[in-house]
Amino acid sequence: MLELGPIAFLSPLALAGLLVLPAIWLLLRLTPPAPRRFVFPPVRLLRKLASVEETAVRTPWWMILLRLALAVAVILGAAHPLLFAPAALQGSGPLVLFVDDGWAAAARWPARADFLARQIDQAERQGRPVMIETTARRDGQARVPVLESPAEARRRAAALRPRPWETDRAAALERLARAAAAANMAGAQVIWVSDGLDDGAVDDTVRALRALGPLTMAMAAAGAAPVVLMPPHGEGAVLKVTALRVPAPGVRRVWIQALDEQGQPIAREGLDFAADTAEGKLDLELPSQLRNRAALLRVEDQATAGGVVLLDERWRRRPVGISAAEGGGAAQPLLSETYYLDRALQPFTEVLRGSVADLIARGVTVLALTDSYNLEGPARGELAAWVEGGGVLLRFAGPRLAREAAQGEDPLLPVLLRRGDRSLGGSLSWGQPAALAPFPDASPFAGLDPPEDVRVRQQILAQPTLELAERTWARLRDGTPLVTARARGDGWVVLVHTTANTAWSNLAISGLFVDMLRRVVALSHGVSGAAKGPPLAPQQTLDAFGDLGPPPPEALPIAAADFADTRVGPSHPPGVYGTAADRRALNLSASLQAPRAIVDLPPAVAVTGLVAAPELDFRPWLLVAALVLALVDTLASLALRGHLRARTAGPAALGLLLVLAVPAPAPAQGAPERSVPPAPGVAPPPGLPPPAAQPAGEDFLRAASLTTRLAYVVTGDPVIDDASRAGLFGLSGLINRRTAIELGEPMGIDPESQDLSLFPLLYWPVTADQPPPTALAAERINEFMRNSGVLLVDSRQRGGEGTDLALARMERLLDVPPLVPVTGEHVLSRSFYLLKSYPGRWAGGQVWITRPDALVNDGVSPIVVGGNDWAGAWAVDRNHRPLFAVVPGGERQRELAYRFGVNLVMYALTGNYKADQVHLPAIIERLGR
Amino acid sequence: MAASRSEDRDRAGLRHQAEALASTLPALLVAADRVASTVSQGVHGRRRVGQGETFWQFRRYQAGDSVQDIDWRQSAKSQPVYVRETEWEAAQSVWLWRDGSPSMDFRSAAGLPLKRGRADLLLLALASLLVRGGERVALLGQDRTPRAGRAALNHLAASLEAASSPTASLPPRVALPRFARVVLFGDFLSTLDEIGDAVRTLTGTGLRGHLVQVLDPAEESLPYDGRAVFEGVEGDGDLLLGRVETVREDYRRLVAERHAALSDLARSVQWTFTTHHTDRPPEAVLLSLYLALAEGGKLTR
Repeated sequence: MLELGPIAFLSPLALAGLLVLPAIWLLLRLTPPAPRRFVFPPVRLLRKLASVEETAVRTPWWMILLRLALAVAVILGAAHPLLFAPAALQGSGPLVLFVDDGWAAAARWPARADFLARQIDQAERQGRPVMIETTARRDGQARVPVLESPAEARRRAAALRPRPWETDRAAALERLARAAAAANMAGAQVIWVSDGLDDGAVDDTVRALRALGPLTMAMAAAGAAPVVLMPPHGEGAVLKVTALRVPAPGVRRVWIQALDEQGQPIAREGLDFAADTAEGKLDLELPSQLRNRAALLRVEDQATAGGVVLLDERWRRRPVGISAAEGGGAAQPLLSETYYLDRALQPFTEVLRGSVADLIARGVTVLALTDSYNLEGPARGELAAWVEGGGVLLRFAGPRLAREAAQGEDPLLPVLLRRGDRSLGGSLSWGQPAALAPFPDASPFAGLDPPEDVRVRQQILAQPTLELAERTWARLRDGTPLVTARARGDGWVVLVHTTANTAWSNLAISGLFVDMLRRVVALSHGVSGAAKGPPLAPQQTLDAFGDLGPPPPEALPIAAADFADTRVGPSHPPGVYGTAADRRALNLSASLQAPRAIVDLPPAVAVTGLVAAPELDFRPWLLVAALVLALVDTLASLALRGHLRARTAGPAALGLLLVLAVPAPAPAQGAPERSVPPAPGVAPPPGLPPPAAQPAGEDFLRAASLTTRLAYVVTGDPVIDDASRAGLFGLSGLINRRTAIELGEPMGIDPESQDLSLFPLLYWPVTADQPPPTALAAERINEFMRNSGVLLVDSRQRGGEGTDLALARMERLLDVPPLVPVTGEHVLSRSFYLLKSYPGRWAGGQVWITRPDALVNDGVSPIVVGGNDWAGAWAVDRNHRPLFAVVPGGERQRELAYRFGVNLVMYALTGNYKADQVHLPAIIERLGR
Repeated sequence: MAASRSEDRDRAGLRHQAEALASTLPALLVAADRVASTVSQGVHGRRRVGQGETFWQFRRYQAGDSVQDIDWRQSAKSQPVYVRETEWEAAQSVWLWRDGSPSMDFRSAAGLPLKRGRADLLLLALASLLVRGGERVALLGQDRTPRAGRAALNHLAASLEAASSPTASLPPRVALPRFARVVLFGDFLSTLDEIGDAVRTLTGTGLRGHLVQVLDPAEESLPYDGRAVFEGVEGDGDLLLGRVETVREDYRRLVAERHAALSDLARSVQWTFTTHHTDRPPEAVLLSLYLALAEGGKLTR
């Protein structure tokens, strides 16, 4: 290989052919093209003129130049020049590829794979063996790398995939050292294909790798390091999302997506990193219904497991219901019990109010009952059943409970209560208001620190029983219970032995109250008892690109008790563990440190990018050029000898052009050309109905609403738009003649900017190549359909081809309910005419409507999808002559197309009114026959 | 053998072709101011009494007249006896010649006829017309006496195709009867002096004639390009031209000058000169010859 700057010659020996060029030049100069011979009787006359023109004995200079260029092209082509050929490897021994394949490598994985393939190609060209070692953490006995032939190495490299966990470069280096000891590594060249993240031991890694041979480090540009999305924590209605990045000078915005379990996007918000910071924060505010559907958060456009956070029950919001006596506290809201509860619950959960029955019906999981609430009658039974079913009932004591405490067991109280209250530090007592004792370890409140200044002045005492101690979650200093709880069925009954307002204690205005409520509400998440239970088996795991998939065979179940401390690794890839009922998310980012970029490498380490300029092979181009030159030369010499005249020169030049037009072998892969299918409608001939003036603003509203009009979506393609306009023009005219409907001239509508609600029917020609509607347009069309408009979607392809495509596009963009083929019983087949088929310009395509459902929109399908190019069949010119032929043809088909149009407009205007009315006698008659 | 059979076919074909060509025109009666003083019976009335078929006059019967000459119908109208006399009718003789030199064996493209072929065709067609008009034709340089009728045509065709047909570039200097007509077909590529001599020799005997130059279109336009060698056919040698297109204009001018000179020559002896290209239909030149010979369309059937 010979390199001249960016150009390298793979077969430089062929360049010696250039030495022959002078000889070719001489030969060409001396050999003029042979003359043609003609018999010509009047040669005597010619002879008189012969002295006029000196005969050229030498070949013209441009001909010599042409032929020399031809020779040069052939010689250079034989030398096989490459532009931007990759630099030759250093050394002469094996090539060692040290590849980071942890989670961060997924970010540029295709580039990495290309890079590896290029290096292996180079090694193959130079005939050197290759050793590949990867750095992702491995469990158990890992394979020690060996020297392989480039072909084997290529297979191994092609099979490499990034792993959704961290790298363990030290272990990889150790394996590499063992392998190096066993193999002949003289003259080795080491390439570290790095993910660019500093694990704190980069210096050691570099030292160890340089011990093997000269080290080149390949990594992506510094700014390309992936963003790590940390597991969020919920605060009230807000999910606090934190993302970490490699600190970089610029401001950066990444988009965070929330997806549900089906992968449908729920929310998308921008998260900003300030300049020079590593941490970006985002408050993701979601309605609790949406938030409870969220299954994962991910950083948009970043395919790494580090940018994905799986969400489980811990991030769900459970609404808390508060039931208070009707009108209770309304007079003095600041003293009411519900006010304090509301304020304490509001930061972390959603609060609903209402009667018990109402709240249970709304699906609350925690129900707080204040003392003043009169719990009587059927509500008691209902509440008991709800607790058995998993609800958490939080009750507060107060004068009413003190008065009414039953003597017997009450299913809605955790313990037996003494009637009457106990007052501490009142005017009639010697005691002082009591402070809280530290929380017992078994209590859900364990770990909270009761502040000294919380004092309870009044409480209700429990009957001392054997179970009292274990049912007590919080005590006062004197050992009397403050909070007692009892599991009932799947739920809990919790009683706070004092009021929820400040009447009996100042607990309600302490921060502790909020924390205690949080713990109680957390009970409903079913998390507190999760430390026990069967091992959690992997359900779905993330791959390094952040996509959920079936777990790999190496993934092992995790003991429930260890789940919280489990680090992501080969045995425990990030993913969803447990059962469908008890879903636990194991997130990679929880076990990651903040990413740091590799900087300050020793100067002896060469650093290169992953993406090289694509190698450009000139050989095919040169050979094609030589061929073209040869053709030109042939033509030129023919012309010189007079063989070419105008009559023959034409075809010859045409042939040459054809040869030139044959696409030369393209070494660079271009974007695949998208063949645009010709629009099925020919360009409409002149004489179209004149376009209605398109008024704007109020004029538009007036024009659209004073007369009933059909409308079509303007696609921007003049051919299609003209056909749509002419089609609706023709249909409107026919409907005016045949039915009682009086339609105005159709209008073209841009759904993005104009109000659709004024039109009963919107015709939308959809072609494969037109851009999808914008989100705003799609929303407006959705709204149009929701508000009883009928959308006719026409893919305009013969035989309904492309209907599937149109359907797919519709479903992606619009809120389309499930579609079914229209049946003979449908109203569409008898809303005016009795129809069996729905041909347009084409016949036979399937027509789709939404599944008839009487509950929605009266059973009227808001969308009719097909591909028969109805507008083409309806289209007429100003003289009401059809514009396009119908296929397979016949005026019968056009008439049927018009009838379909009449039925459709009738359907759009009258809904299912005609479903069983008009044609009943005829139908009965037919049935009888 | 195969070659000669196909030649036979060609000869027969040529004659048929000529007849077909001639059949598009009415029979040609050569305008004759002064009919050649031959004794041949013909169609040209001499405005005097003599042998003929056309009625000329009645005259009184004189002694010595044959009784069979008496026109009884006329005589019955009056007293005298009348004899019916006819006009003396003589035939004009036309001498035809065509250039048989090798230069006539030329065509520039496969689709075109040879110049000789076209000249033969024109000659025979003209002869056919003349014969149908009752005139007498002869091949200049070969025949002693003009002949009439189909036999003359056959004889003419045979003579043209015979191996011994004249191969000279110019008509031979032979004595012709006075006031005969001459039609010369050829390419007239000889020098102007030679052509002038030949023509003046013929006019010396009071003949009137027509020159028909038959040329290949390539000889007129020189449509060649580039480097070419031109080979002469009559000992003219070869000529190499580097770029033919550069001399084309000069050549065309030269050819045009030559046409003008030939035309002048013809006019000076009251002859006519026509140029015919082999890529043109022969009818055109035949028609112009027809008109020239009939001089003002005194056509008789």
